[in-house]
Amino acid sequence: MANYHPADELLMQFAAGQLTNALGIQTACHLESCKICQQKVHLYEQLGGDLIDISTPAEIAPDAKSKLLNNLHKHQESAVDLTGNHTVKSELETLYTEQLANANQRVPRPLRRFVPDYYDNLPWAGFSKSIQSYDLPFSDDQYTARFYKIAAGKELPQHTHKGNEFTLVMSGSFSDLSGDYHPGDFVLADDSTHHQPKAHDKEDCICFAVMDAPLKMTGFFGRMLNPFIK
Amino acid sequence: MTQSTQSNAQYLNQLVLQIAQQNEQAYLELFESCAGRLKAYAIKCGSNSSDAEDLLQDCMLTVWNKAPQFNPKTASAMTWMYTIVRNRRIDLLRKEKPNLIQSFDLWPDGDLDQTYSDQFSSSQLDDDVEGDLNANLVRILIESLPEEQRQIVYKVYFEGKSHSEIALDLNLPLGTIKSRLRLAMKKLDNLAKEQMTWLIIILLTNF
Repeated sequence: MANYHPADELLMQFAAGQLTNALGIQTACHLESCKICQQKVHLYEQLGGDLIDISTPAEIAPDAKSKLLNNLHKHQESAVDLTGNHTVKSELETLYTEQLANANQRVPRPLRRFVPDYYDNLPWAGFSKSIQSYDLPFSDDQYTARFYKIAAGKELPQHTHKGNEFTLVMSGSFSDLSGDYHPGDFVLADDSTHHQPKAHDKEDCICFAVMDAPLKMTGFFGRMLNPFIK
Repeated sequence: MTQSTQSNAQYLNQLVLQIAQQNEQAYLELFESCAGRLKAYAIKCGSNSSDAEDLLQDCMLTVWNKAPQFNPKTASAMTWMYTIVRNRRIDLLRKEKPNLIQSFDLWPDGDLDQTYSDQFSSSQLDDDVEGDLNANLVRILIESLPEEQRQIVYKVYFEGKSHSEIALDLNLPLGTIKSRLRLAMKKLDNLAKEQMTWLIIILLTNF
């Protein structure tokens, strides 16, 4: 069970359907193993239902009701397959189902479509053996999404962050001055955080990082490394 | 909480349960009672009237298809329909772009997930998460929030605005927005704890 959680504001945005980006996937990964946050999201969904409940109805097109029944009957005809009543999946749904089923089931479900193999098999890249990275395929204008792998027992150069960096521990564990972080832990670092994360000795630590600006190294070594880190 | 909102919630639950039995009359009744508000949600989120009608039709078809999965013990019909309209809005905006993040990446979907068994499948989630113990509590809270806090909650839900965008919109300092939202969330959190307390009391008195 995770000890570090996303802020309530983030969970509310998630429940409001407003995090359809890397941060949303990251939040969903945390939720998968965190009952406490699941409860909160459920409460915020209830709030969403209540906001609809108390809203003033919009005017509906006069033909909406006949369209409703037409759509239903058309759907019922197309949805019955040869054997009986089963609904036929759309092309996209069939694709998703396959993607999910073929992926490695040890990867959290929200990532499974994007990281179908387990972490060992990813094309890790990096100039240093102590830290390697893999760019996840769903970065956008707002957020960059990336996996980091810190080698067992290695320490990163001290750095701070320009903007926010959300980190979710996927496997292994690391610590910095503020604490020990284990799988499922969700940590936010910002420009006030100066830290030097160190992976625990036993195994490599894999983290899922979502950031709204590139890393900015502060130590002597860090400043030298900075131009190489994307 | 009034008797009528309570019984209205039960009425909607019943309708969805009947829709699960392929009852077209119930389907029409649900449409009558909710269509205007579902469309209003789409419009508040930024759709024009014609896109909002399309979303409404799409959601209603989803309601028909997913009604057999509806469980009033885990969520009221309104909460359940909220998750449908929220998800369908996201997916319609990303139609035919399978590489983008879709709603089912964020929230498990019973239809797509049932092909494999997994400890985190949606049914497991549903069983573990508390249902809407008393849907009216949240509603009373929303109605009792001061206008300034309510306005910000609305902006988060419907406009997808970040805190700094809300600050610009309302011409207020960022810190004010954050503290108002935090106050609103704190009240919600207390409410959740209150619900838990009631649950315990109900359980204790029943045994």
